Amino acid sequence: MTTRSAALARPVAVNLLGVIEHPVLGDGPYRIDADGHPYLPVGDGGIVLGLQLGDSVFARKADHAAPGACLVHPDPAARHALATYSCIGNQVRVRTGRSAGARGVVIGKRGEEGRVIAAFRPAELAAMRPADEVSIRACGQGCRPDGFPAGLTVLNIDPGLFEVLPMVRPSASGDGPVSVGVRCSVPSKLAGNGLGRPAVSWDLDLQLRPPDSDRSPAGDAAGAGAGGVQLGDFVAVTDIDARFNVGYRKGWVTVGIVVHGASPLPGHGPGITPILTGPASVLDIRREAAGHVGLTAQMLKLQ
Amino acid sequence: MKISSNSGQLVSQVLTGEVWPPLADSRAYRVGPDGQPFALPGMGGVTLGAGCGSPATGYASDHLEPGASVRHRDPAANMALQFLTCVGNPVRVETGPAAGAVGHVIGQHAYVLADFAEPVLAGLTTGDAVTVTACGQGLALTGHDAIVVKNCAPGLLAQMPGGTRPDGRLEVHVAARVPAEAIGAGAGMSSEYANTDLMGAYPGLGDDLSLGLEGLRIGDIVSLAAADHRYGRGYRDGYLTIGVISTGQCMMFGHGPGPSSLLTGPAAAFHLVDDPAANLSCWYHPELEGAR
Repeated sequence: MTTRSAALARPVAVNLLGVIEHPVLGDGPYRIDADGHPYLPVGDGGIVLGLQLGDSVFARKADHAAPGACLVHPDPAARHALATYSCIGNQVRVRTGRSAGARGVVIGKRGEEGRVIAAFRPAELAAMRPADEVSIRACGQGCRPDGFPAGLTVLNIDPGLFEVLPMVRPSASGDGPVSVGVRCSVPSKLAGNGLGRPAVSWDLDLQLRPPDSDRSPAGDAAGAGAGGVQLGDFVAVTDIDARFNVGYRKGWVTVGIVVHGASPLPGHGPGITPILTGPASVLDIRREAAGHVGLTAQMLKLQ
Repeated sequence: MKISSNSGQLVSQVLTGEVWPPLADSRAYRVGPDGQPFALPGMGGVTLGAGCGSPATGYASDHLEPGASVRHRDPAANMALQFLTCVGNPVRVETGPAAGAVGHVIGQHAYVLADFAEPVLAGLTTGDAVTVTACGQGLALTGHDAIVVKNCAPGLLAQMPGGTRPDGRLEVHVAARVPAEAIGAGAGMSSEYANTDLMGAYPGLGDDLSLGLEGLRIGDIVSLAAADHRYGRGYRDGYLTIGVISTGQCMMFGHGPGPSSLLTGPAAAFHLVDDPAANLSCWYHPELEGAR
């Protein structure tokens, strides 16, 4: 049976070169926020210090800030390959600069031109600079862990990482639904940038605003827990199929890991890198508005 | 539309472009909602057989761009062309057998999309030069301070039914009301560039993909629920956006027929009237209605 043989296919790993990104801006410093106010985007790419897994996505006055360093490649096609093949949990080794030898871990990716987000120990991250080179042991696309039902698609995640993720619980029988603990479940109408784009190389922005915002565009639509979303959290989006581009499909669920913080831009917000997508019958969501623990530095042995 | 505006304060700019070719790559295929590979025409060049008033879907096509797709060869000049051009602006063909013919802009889609009468389109091809007389950005409606006008020629506004009501709201006739769940690719982009793809309009595919939008026509004026397009394209409760369907059939997942943004503001500032005749063809190409 095709699905069976595909499920048993052995993964390969590829070593990729990543270059620490320098932030880039256009001729003018300003972007325009959802209320029409100009702002200067801080934290959008490159090395961001002072932000860690477990921090609120609303904690900083920043735009798309990710906890770690963004990795790119100077050749556009190689950069797309870097973003497509790198998976959450892949090991990263710094090869040049003052942090040469340091270990990092891929914790997400972002779309458009392609960026891989890697977390490092804070002191080693602080010693790095743009243009430093790293090697990523990329592995995961096309893999499927044992005990996952055939209708559930797994993407963007290192095959070994599930073993250290307590919020992901396969069924005892192996063919029942996988149960996943999430901070919140967001309706598809709050999905923004990333719709219609390939989930193997893009993230999906969720149009969430701080819970105390007097101009919260999402109102109550985001549901319980949405105001408490933290970097590394698992978040579900209902009625979204992320197999072949991200799009609307009734009765489906996509679960992703929150990889960057909020954005003032309309149509943008905290972004998830999708890792699981399938009909609700194979993906059982446990809502943990309070007490949810997502991907942590401890799980990645980076504390 | 019976309404006062600042149209007397606007200037026009003369812009140039050329019919830009469709683009592909060496792998040819893209992937549909269920994983089906496809290689289908529709985006770029001159697309025949679908214009204002035609069904938006039901074609063997992807990212169907009706009529001529226009860009400027210089990247910065192209952005000026894309941002400044408004729906309803005239487009004149300058070279080739169709030289002298005039059509109208029906939207943007990373190309300026120009609809012409079918015999004109038959004589138009990639590389033909066109002139766009761009006018409309900066247009504001008197007495409707909360409503922002986007990409809308003053002439189009004048021909649309509706207008200022006695209660102060703006009456707009719409051929369809689009739910927030339908917003796909284009979310988060500038509302002066390209358009908002609508999901849920894949005729012939699964019911789980449908949001009831299979009946849209090219040129339809539609309302987008909870869409705030004042400073880009985002979700906001209590707002809505009025757009015109400027692109059609998509096979690519997360994409679909797309409205270019025309008016946006608090929902309470609008009075929507459901009107199947709310279509650009009624105002710009009445001679084509029913002929396609």
